[in-house]
Amino acid sequence: MQSLTDELKGKIIKALNLDKITPADIKDDEPLFGAGLGLDSLDALDLVSMLERDYGILIQDMEAARQAFASYRTLEEFVQRNRV
Amino acid sequence: MSSRRPVVTGLGIITAAGCGVSAMWDALRTGRSGLGPLTLFSSPRYGRHQVGQVRENVDQLAGDVRGSRSDKLAWIAAREALRQAGLAAPLNSPRAERTGVLLGSTVAGMLGTEEVVGRLLRGQPRRFTPLRYHECASATDLCARLMGARGPTATFSTACSAGALAIATAAGLIENDELDVALAGGADSLSRLTLNGFGSLLLLDPDGCLPFDAARAGISLGEGAAMLVLEAEETARARGARILARLSGWGASCDASHPTAPDPQGGGATAAMQQALERGGLSPGDIGFVIAHGTGTPDNDVMEARALRRVFGGAAPPFASVKRFFGHTLAASGAIQAVAAVQALREQAAPANLGFENMDAEIGMEPAREFQSRPLEQVLSNSFGFGGNNVVLVFARADSPAAAVARGVRERPVGDPLYGKDGTYGTADVRRRSQGIPLAVTGAGLVCAGGHTVAGVRSALAAGGVTPSWLECAAPFALGRMRGYSCGDFGAEEAIPAARRRRLGRLQQMALVAAKRCLPQGLPAGLSPERVCAAIGTGLGCLGETAAFVENMLNNGERAPLAGRFANSVHNACASQLAIEFNLRGLNSTSAHREISFEAALWHCASQLRQGRADFAMAGAADELSPYTQAAGTRWGWWDENAPAIRPFGSELTGHRRPLPGEGAAVFALARADQASAPLARLQSVHFGRFAARADGRPEAQKEAAWIAESLERDGVPLASVDLLLSGSNGWPRWDDAYGEVASALSVLRGEELSLGAYKQAGGEHYSASAFGFFVALGLVGGQIEPALCLAGNPSAAAAARPPRTVLLYTLAPGGSRALCCVCA
Repeated sequence: MQSLTDELKGKIIKALNLDKITPADIKDDEPLFGAGLGLDSLDALDLVSMLERDYGILIQDMEAARQAFASYRTLEEFVQRNRV
Repeated sequence: MSSRRPVVTGLGIITAAGCGVSAMWDALRTGRSGLGPLTLFSSPRYGRHQVGQVRENVDQLAGDVRGSRSDKLAWIAAREALRQAGLAAPLNSPRAERTGVLLGSTVAGMLGTEEVVGRLLRGQPRRFTPLRYHECASATDLCARLMGARGPTATFSTACSAGALAIATAAGLIENDELDVALAGGADSLSRLTLNGFGSLLLLDPDGCLPFDAARAGISLGEGAAMLVLEAEETARARGARILARLSGWGASCDASHPTAPDPQGGGATAAMQQALERGGLSPGDIGFVIAHGTGTPDNDVMEARALRRVFGGAAPPFASVKRFFGHTLAASGAIQAVAAVQALREQAAPANLGFENMDAEIGMEPAREFQSRPLEQVLSNSFGFGGNNVVLVFARADSPAAAVARGVRERPVGDPLYGKDGTYGTADVRRRSQGIPLAVTGAGLVCAGGHTVAGVRSALAAGGVTPSWLECAAPFALGRMRGYSCGDFGAEEAIPAARRRRLGRLQQMALVAAKRCLPQGLPAGLSPERVCAAIGTGLGCLGETAAFVENMLNNGERAPLAGRFANSVHNACASQLAIEFNLRGLNSTSAHREISFEAALWHCASQLRQGRADFAMAGAADELSPYTQAAGTRWGWWDENAPAIRPFGSELTGHRRPLPGEGAAVFALARADQASAPLARLQSVHFGRFAARADGRPEAQKEAAWIAESLERDGVPLASVDLLLSGSNGWPRWDDAYGEVASALSVLRGEELSLGAYKQAGGEHYSASAFGFFVALGLVGGQIEPALCLAGNPSAAAAARPPRTVLLYTLAPGGSRALCCVCA
């Protein structure tokens, strides 16, 4: 679990070009979007791309991803459940 | 009665619904969608999507024209429009000089470029030819060349509103008496980039778009071209041309909110519609039908309905999106809608919103369900692009009276001498009155290999130029190290907060840094955002972002497309970032026309200020170095890999006969001189067009000199007052000689030697280099740069003794374009 956390946070930082952010800055239960990291709708799409590239998860509808993107924790759970 | 009013005398169109105006109208009349399977290229991810692909054999229809698919579509539509207007190509003097081509282009030659990149990535033998037609300007230059047009000619690339912007711009040039006739429109082919790009934004509906319907789920991409022949009413009447309709109004605005998504409240769309009505002297009740942008995305259609309600209240006219007929054809879209609008006025009938069945509660409006005969006097057409670039056109029936006159006096823009007492534009001698509205340059910001300040640029020029750095020509070319004028680390980290910067490509960062250097304190206080416009030129757009998207797409078999890169890949990504940064909500233009991209942008701003449409403007240009420019330029002999530096007029001394590539951005703040405090200089004149070429492709010097003298004279600058001709000379003998010949011809014309200078030794050669030249010109008239520093290596020039008061920046482009700007102390 810990290894997925480190890996996934690293991938988020890389995919979104979050220069000055470290994995520790991504708090498990804070919202990913809006406040917190200050991510927006284009970031969400870049996360969709990362999930497809690195975990084989195909998201074709943002509605489906909305819950998964609520916080880091929900995203990690989503990846655990759906990775191929 | 104004005779400079723009009228339509020709129409041409090719879309998925067929070739020609009658095929288009037949599709609209019978409700036949052009959407179908994608067969133009294979797409692993989107191959089963419904698209608006042109089914005719485009190569065959275009005849022996060489160019990209977009270029050929453009020429097919142009040919039809010219034929209807009774204008036989090639045009002769003097009509040629008064005829221009203004096109919108976004995809341009990308389809061919993808093939080039694909071969490179697969390690197959290199083919460079399609890259020749990569640029947005390709279709425009092709049409201008085949027509023999030599008037103002430029290309606009504001994504999905580009075709409409080109039409509005052509109308402005006609009103301003800079053109009599314009071919105006847009063209774009399908491409893997746009299919994957809109796919990455999750904006595609695989089964075909359903605009305004409750079940709508995205756009269908399409391709095509549409062209209008726009003409001053007096010219059209004088030559007995049939007037098909009038362009009665147009408006342009910017959301200044998001790179790709529309402002949910529809503020920008509302403003553009209101501006179009106001310009035409119309009230909302005059509009009989609206051809909506109606892409079929959930967001656009809600926003557009909201904007329609804001403009028309509860009494919105019937409206329809035609996107299910043609697909979303991007830069062609606004022009296709314009052709549909004109045809609707002629036929007194309007199309149905194909694909609509059930009303969406959030939209709360129902579009036209049936093709129907309707009494139509005025038809409004909406085009909204990425970056919140909105353009609205209103067309009127040919014999409908000029609304402003019919209504009597209306409020005229504050203090504007171009408006007659009855509120109409240009009722008297526009030529006389457009003179002498001096503009002031109130700020200048630079990102350049030669320095970022006027002092830095002065030192670079004093040293005879800057030494280019060694740069890796990286993958997918891997040509090793080459010299180039890179801006290196240009200070983006200090100037742009990290949270903002991480989303921006290098070119956007360059433009934004230049803009912040131009306005270190931000916009002057007290400006209304709606009355601040911006125009940025870029020959090639955000190459780094585009290449990253395309290479990822082709390397990964279309898996995991990069949405952020796609958002940044549009040419207008720079201008829309400026709009967001400074909250600029007026016209937001991006011109992409090779070496004169900057001058077209500057013209746009100048004309908005002079017409009283804006109180403040930001104009600039930006282009970046890329392995693609390095490699293609090397292949085509544009660069001399062995030259240690650019030496203008120095090829005989150095033995090197070609320049080296560079990059840079420059942004300038402009206002009317009477409203500006502490101006750096006056901008007295800006013009662009195409030169008359000799058999060897170089300009006819006497004709160039005459054009320059006439243009300056018109703007109240006597040729005798020009102290220095600042040229785009770069050490390429052919063009250095051309500049020399024009300077000599001007010297003869005025009976006094004209000094000839150059600036590219301090910034390198790139499509936005003339914006750097403009920066140098400001330093010259401001007394911070001694004229002798620009004359280096020019053996024939006598060093000017006194600081120049008037500097003429003059640019010749190998593709046939020319431009001038004149700044005065």
